[in-house]
Amino acid sequence: MVARSTPISFSAQALKAQEDLNREILVVNSVTVDYPGVRALDAVSLAFRTGEIHAIVGENGAGKSTMMKVLSGVIRPTSGTINLKGMQRQFTRPSDAIRAGIAMVHQELHLVGTLNVAENVLLGREPTRFLGVAVDHQRQHVVAGELLRQLGSDFDLSTLACDLSIAQQQFVEIAKCLASDARVLIFDEPTAVLGEVEANRLFAVMRRLRDEGRCVIFISHHLDEVISIADRITVLRDGKVVQAFSRNTSGIVQSEDGSIADEGRLAHAMVGHELSSIYPEKMYSTCSSSAIELANFGAKNKSHGISFSVAAGEILGIAGLVGSGRTETAEAIVGIRPCEGVLRVEGREIQFTNPRAAMRSGVAYVSEDRKNRGLHVTLSSICNMMLPSLDKVSRLGGIMIDSHTEKRMTKKWIDTFQIRCARPMQAISSLSGGNQQKFALARWLEARPRVLIIDEPTRGVDVGARGEIYRIIAQLAREGLACIVISSELPEVIGISHRVIVMREGTIAGEIPSERLALKDCQERIVRIASGLSEESFTNK
Amino acid sequence: MNPRIPSMLRASQRALEMWGVIVAFVILFAVSTFNQGFDFLNPENFRALLNSNAPVGILAVGMTLVIISAGIDLSVGSMVVLAAAIGMTTMNSLIDSGTSELNAVLLGGAVTILAGTVAGTFNGVLVVFGRIAPFIATLGGLAAFRSMSLAIADAGEIRSQSATIFSALGRGGVPIPGLLNAAGKPLTLSYSTVIFFVIAIIAQWFLSRSRFGRQLVAVGANETAARYAGISVSWVRLRVYSIMGLLAGIAALVQSSRMNSVSTSQLGLGSELDAIAAVVIGGTTLRGGFGRVWGTVVGVLILGMITNILTISGVSPYWQGAVKGAVIVLAVLVQRSSRE
Repeated sequence: MVARSTPISFSAQALKAQEDLNREILVVNSVTVDYPGVRALDAVSLAFRTGEIHAIVGENGAGKSTMMKVLSGVIRPTSGTINLKGMQRQFTRPSDAIRAGIAMVHQELHLVGTLNVAENVLLGREPTRFLGVAVDHQRQHVVAGELLRQLGSDFDLSTLACDLSIAQQQFVEIAKCLASDARVLIFDEPTAVLGEVEANRLFAVMRRLRDEGRCVIFISHHLDEVISIADRITVLRDGKVVQAFSRNTSGIVQSEDGSIADEGRLAHAMVGHELSSIYPEKMYSTCSSSAIELANFGAKNKSHGISFSVAAGEILGIAGLVGSGRTETAEAIVGIRPCEGVLRVEGREIQFTNPRAAMRSGVAYVSEDRKNRGLHVTLSSICNMMLPSLDKVSRLGGIMIDSHTEKRMTKKWIDTFQIRCARPMQAISSLSGGNQQKFALARWLEARPRVLIIDEPTRGVDVGARGEIYRIIAQLAREGLACIVISSELPEVIGISHRVIVMREGTIAGEIPSERLALKDCQERIVRIASGLSEESFTNK
Repeated sequence: MNPRIPSMLRASQRALEMWGVIVAFVILFAVSTFNQGFDFLNPENFRALLNSNAPVGILAVGMTLVIISAGIDLSVGSMVVLAAAIGMTTMNSLIDSGTSELNAVLLGGAVTILAGTVAGTFNGVLVVFGRIAPFIATLGGLAAFRSMSLAIADAGEIRSQSATIFSALGRGGVPIPGLLNAAGKPLTLSYSTVIFFVIAIIAQWFLSRSRFGRQLVAVGANETAARYAGISVSWVRLRVYSIMGLLAGIAALVQSSRMNSVSTSQLGLGSELDAIAAVVIGGTTLRGGFGRVWGTVVGVLILGMITNILTISGVSPYWQGAVKGAVIVLAVLVQRSSRE
C-alpha cells in the first residue's frame, strides 16, 4: 500500500497531521540488547511523540546506535517490546521498519551513484504506467521534484547522485524517506559531514518535518546543536537513560527537577563527571622558522592562490564550509592530488607525488575519512599502526617484519594515548570512534613527522576522547611539530588553533590572528567570511 | 529463549569460517578411507595424488597472493603452456645445436621460468599502468598466451630431446626414509611435491611475516587507505602479478618435465579454475584483504582427493566435475562471512 501511493498533496497531509500532534507514536518498553560480553542497552524505556524533535545524546558506546538499530529493524532486542501507534511490533529486518513508517537517514549515505536524483528519491517505489511495466519518468520527475522542493532544495533532478556534494546527497536521502511517507525519521549524526551553513539548512528541514507532525529523532555529538533544536533530550550512558530534558512552554529546555540544559550539564550527564574545559591552554612558541610554506599554491581545479606559512610549534586552523577546498588543498600538499604553485618544506622547495614521498620529508596527513581512507577497518590495530612506518620494524634488509618490535611499538602508543582496546590483534572496526581516531593519529606520529596535517580531528568522536585528542595535538605542538588542523567545527578550530585561516570557494577568504580568536564574535565572523556574507578580513600582514 | 544461544551460534560460525577447511579435509579423508580402505591409504596412491596436483598447487599458492591483493589471474593455465612451450623449444634447439644435455636442460629451465615471469609482469603492467580490471586484463592473457603457444608448435606436441636428465627431473624424487613400496624399493616424494610444499611454506611465511605480505593485505583490504598510508600501491600490485608469473613458470617446468613433452592444446587447460577453486575452498576471500596459503594447500589436497577417490571407485570422469563443483559451492557456503 505504502509502496504504491506517492504523497502528492502535502498541505492536506500536514493538515491531518496537525490534529494528532504530540501523541506518543513510538514507545520503547524496557528494551535490553546483549552483545557477546556487553550489555549495550539495559532495560531502556522511551516514548517518541509526533511533532517533536527528540535528541538522543551520549558518549560513543553509550548505546545510541544500538537503540537506533533496534528502532530501524537492523537488530532484534534480547528482551523488551516496541509499540508503534499503539500496536506492538516486531521488526525482523530494516524493510519491516520502513514499511511501518520508520525511516533512517544513515551517517553513511546509501545512494546509487549511477542513478540520477529523481531515480534515487523514488528508488523502489517508481511511478509506473502500462500496467506497472514501464517507469513513468515524467511523473517520477514531478513527484521527486515536489519532495525536494518541500525540503527547500532546488538542484537538477537529472544530476547523477555521484556528482552531488555530501550535503546534497543527504537531502536526497531525506527526500527518499519522505517518499516512503515515513512518520518517524531518524537522523544519525547528520551534521558530522556538514559545515555550518549546510547544517543550518538541515535544521530548518528538520523543524519543517516536525511541524508537519512527524517525529524526528536526532542523534548528535554536538551539544550546542542539540540544545538549540531539540524539544526533548534523552541522555544515555552505559546503555541506560540517565537524564531526560524537555522544552517547556517558554522555550527553555530543562529536566524534571528544573535544571536547565546547557552544554556543561549535558556533558556532565553523558560522562558522569565534570569536564573541565576540553581545550588545552595555548602555548605560543617563539620559534619563527617556517616548517611549511605555501606560495600561490593550489589543488588543480579545486583550489588556488593559497599562501601561508606555519612555524614549528604552531597550530594553524583552517575553517570553511564543506567543499571550500580545504581537504583538496591538504591532499595536494601530500601528493594525493595534482598541485600547482610553490610548496616549501623547511625552506626547501619541493613537490610530492605521493604520501610516501611526503612522509619521507616529514609531512604527514591524517585523513578526514577515517573509515575509507584513514584506516584499514578490517585489519588489526597493529597492522594499522605500523603501516606508514613498516621500514622501522623491518629486519633482514627490510624484507621481514620483526613482530616483537611492532608489538612493543603499538603497545607504547596504546599506553601513551590511553587507547582502550582489548588486544592489539583486534580488528580496528570493533573500537569506538575516539579510539580509532587515536590510532589514525598515532600511526603517523610513529613515522616522526615535522609537519602534521589533521583533517577533522574529532569527527564522530565522543566528548571525553575529544578532550584527549586536543591535549595530544597541543602537546605535539609544544614539542615542536607544525600542525595544520582542518575543521568544520568552529569551537574546535578556535579552541585549539593559534591562528585561523578561513577558506571559501577554493581560496583563502580571511585570516583571524591569535589576538582575535578569544573575542566573543569570532565564531560569527568566521561564519560570515566562510559564507561570503562579509568581505572584511583581518589579515595582519 | 536462552540469550546465550545466538552468541554461541556466532562463535561456532566464526570457528567454522576459520577451521572449516580442516574439518572438510578430515571428513573427506575419513569417508575415502572408509570407502576404499587400502586402495586409498596406499602410500603409492598418496604419492601419485600429490605428484599430479603439485602444478595446480603451485599456481594456487600464487593465486592466493593475487586474490588477497583483490585481484585475479585467469591467465595462469595459458602462462604455463606458453612458458613450457618456449622453454622446451629452447632446450631442444640447444640440444640440436650440440650443447651438452645438462646445460640445455638448465638453460631451458631458466628460460621457462623467465618466460612465465615476463608473462606475469605483462599482466601486472596492464593492470597497474593500463588501469584495466584484472579480470579483463588476464582474460586477454588467457586467450593470447595459449594462442601464442599453439602457434609455436602448430597446435601440436613438443617432444623433449632430452632423453634422460629432463625426465629424471620429472619422475625422480626424494626418498622417504623407512618407507618401502610394493617392489621393496624406497618410496620417494616426487620433486614436484617437494617444490610445491617449499613454495607454499615460503609464501605463507612471507604473507604473515614480511613487509610485502603486510602491504599486500593492506592494498587488498582497502586500496585508497593503503595509498593514504604511504604504500606504493602500483609497485605492490605489479610485484604480485610478477610472482604469479614466476610460479606459473615453475609449474610449467614441473609439468613439462613430468610428461617430458608439451602438448600445447592440453597443458594447463582449465588450471586457472582449479587454482581459484582451491584458493576459495581454503578460505581466502575473493574480495581481497584476507587470506592464507595453508588453507589453499588444504584446498588443493581436497580437490585432489575428490578426483582420486572418484577415480578409484570407478565413477565416470564425466561426473567428477559435478562433484567438484558441489564441493566448491559447499565450501563457500559454509565459510561465508557472518560479518557483512
